[in-house]
Amino acid sequence: MDLQPVIAPPGFRTGGDTSTSTEEYFLNMGPQHPSTHGVLRLVLKLDGESIIEVVPHLGYIHRGLEKVAENQTYVQNIHLSDRVDYLSSHIYNMAYCLTVENALGIGVPERAEYIRVIVCELQRIQSHLLWWGVMGMDLGAITCFLYGFKEREIITDIFEELCGARLTMNYFRPGGSFADVPDSFIPQVKSLIEKMKVALDEYNTLLTGNIIFQKRTKGVGVLTAEDAIQYGCSGPVLRGSGVSYDVRKDDTYSIYDQFDFDVPLGTKGDCFDRYVIRMEEMAQSLKILEQAVAKFPTGPYRSKTSASIKLQPGTYYSQVETGRGLLGIYIVSKGGTKPYRIKYRSPSMSNLHALNHMAQGHKIADLIPIVATMDIVIPDIDR
Amino acid sequence: MGITGLATRTIPKYLDPLPGGTQLVDSIEFVVGWARANSLWPLVYGTACCAMEMMSAGSSRHDWARFGVEVARATPRQADLIVLAGTIVEKMGSRLVTLYEQMPGSKYVIAMGSCAISGGPFYYDSYSVIKGGDRLIPVDVYIPGCPPRPEALLQGIMELQKKIRTEGRRNPWVIGGVNENPSIDIFSTAKKNWAEAGQKQFVADDEKYILPSRTKPSRKAVDDRPEVTAREKKLSGMSAGEIDKVVAAEFRGIKNVSREEPGQGRTIDYRVSSRNYIHFITFLKNHSELRLDYLLQIMAIDHGDRFEVSVQLMSSSLGHRVFVQCDLEHANPQIETISSIFLGAEWHEREIFDLFGITFLNHPDMRRFFLEDDFPGHPMRKDFSDPTRVIPRPY
Repeated sequence: MDLQPVIAPPGFRTGGDTSTSTEEYFLNMGPQHPSTHGVLRLVLKLDGESIIEVVPHLGYIHRGLEKVAENQTYVQNIHLSDRVDYLSSHIYNMAYCLTVENALGIGVPERAEYIRVIVCELQRIQSHLLWWGVMGMDLGAITCFLYGFKEREIITDIFEELCGARLTMNYFRPGGSFADVPDSFIPQVKSLIEKMKVALDEYNTLLTGNIIFQKRTKGVGVLTAEDAIQYGCSGPVLRGSGVSYDVRKDDTYSIYDQFDFDVPLGTKGDCFDRYVIRMEEMAQSLKILEQAVAKFPTGPYRSKTSASIKLQPGTYYSQVETGRGLLGIYIVSKGGTKPYRIKYRSPSMSNLHALNHMAQGHKIADLIPIVATMDIVIPDIDR
Repeated sequence: MGITGLATRTIPKYLDPLPGGTQLVDSIEFVVGWARANSLWPLVYGTACCAMEMMSAGSSRHDWARFGVEVARATPRQADLIVLAGTIVEKMGSRLVTLYEQMPGSKYVIAMGSCAISGGPFYYDSYSVIKGGDRLIPVDVYIPGCPPRPEALLQGIMELQKKIRTEGRRNPWVIGGVNENPSIDIFSTAKKNWAEAGQKQFVADDEKYILPSRTKPSRKAVDDRPEVTAREKKLSGMSAGEIDKVVAAEFRGIKNVSREEPGQGRTIDYRVSSRNYIHFITFLKNHSELRLDYLLQIMAIDHGDRFEVSVQLMSSSLGHRVFVQCDLEHANPQIETISSIFLGAEWHEREIFDLFGITFLNHPDMRRFFLEDDFPGHPMRKDFSDPTRVIPRPY
């Protein structure tokens, strides 16, 4: 019987292997798939269950956000930056405001700096909690999902009292934030720190030591330091491979230089390393929060800016560390109240690019922890 | 046909002529509606932000299992409810219709959030967002919000349950097939309604009616906000002068075009010609002092008369940044790829090819990145216009 020749989908590089008796085939995964975290589509080339090559297809949530931003004023654009990576919306707001502040040459009062650091670290913990819950669920431990969301809701409540929104915050403005923190803010953060310390131990008992979990993540999806830099990975994916680059430390912004915290590093660059780093990052964020809460100053929360913000012609760039890695915002101004072009350098896109490299040679089941420990947010890639 | 057809067509055919048969059929319908309303199986479908609130609704605090919406299914063949959580873009639109068609009847759709209702914040100017999920599939319940709270989603589910409980012969609302109602043009309907409403002239009809006067929104007086100067930023890596020296030793004609940026860290802009482009990038990467080993991104800017490609490099060990700009002609923009120097460049170049139409020569995989292969034109160009897709912002 003559088999019809298999026509490869676009994007594949590896040639057909005719030496073995097995036959290679292609498998589509997504965009509707529970463990691709949204609408990521992967096309796999398989030999049995082993992955030969992965080709991601993007654009299933490409909203043309950068084009929409070109027709909105600098203050209106803050609400669009929320919706790029909705799990780090405060941090995106902050990165955007930092860029505008740099362009205007203004600073923010000390209290506003503290608000920003506290809120951004809360956001980082919140983002990691969601990742932890969803990752557990991807690997079959649904309990993690319920536990992770329990603490996440407390942080969401703090945000809601702060700015009225649970997810898309739109809280920061060039020069500070649109409102001062409520009186209950600091007590709430303090009680959260205590709760989170207990909860982190609980999480480690629940999942980290689990032998099945370790078997599924240790030695899976190894990414060496050289490759991580070559692909432009950042955040826990880069640090899991042992490269110490954290924008908060190495290109410090806001008042992160005044806090004492460590940047956790991995050694092997496998899924388990990335997992441990995120867990450790939550502990480090708590450490920053403790220091910030203890020194929280009084005073004005916003500095003086002109009512309509106009940037001088030129290009402006700022970068911050989100829960996922290095976020850069590049604004091209030709004068006036609207930007000529805004470009988000999103961390998830570069991280996902390393997927093919990490997944090659593993089984399909290993793809799930690899994608999960990358912690990608698809609208962050597609914009 | 399934259970719906059985309950609404086959059983009544035989039972209705019998004495008391109508009441019996009504009872059967009631039981079927009750059972169906209390065991909705939602599809795990979420594209953007609203999916997070949907997850919240399913998690420990809000727990939609209380309403019987517990068994979230990953395959449409086992689900009977789609919550349209998040923006629907053109590329996803056809997949969404497939998902809907794969669901067995009777099936229900909730449009969650402004994107799924009307396109939301991306209604204007966006070239890829579909302005409302009901242009693709029939929607039963709309939940406003951006994103709606989990409680709002729960209320939406309860409204849907009310609707399901009352469906039947007496109150039929036919499950619309996609092929029967290909699309609902809400735009022209709304336009017509508004035109009719405009002709009514409220003032003439009712003398008591007072037109709302256009008050100017009062701006809150700027309170004691202080003027704050920018903080001194700790700079890491080589200074601009040092980098300039290294570059000038090798390349004569390359201009440093960076602006004076106090407090913005170490960013140096160079402008190169496309002839020098590859040499210069290779030099920057391989130089033992500069150590610019990390590619932040490649991006393009449409200046109207020319394109500008900006390659943004960083030293992961030292911390300084060098941005290289290269101008390309507008008519036939093409430039050599740097994906052989930086592996990470490949996707950035594909994105530029997709959105700007700049061709990268010798690129290993020059395909569209975000948009469908048959998308007309390159949307990030300033002269892009497509009246079928883009509604320009009127203000």
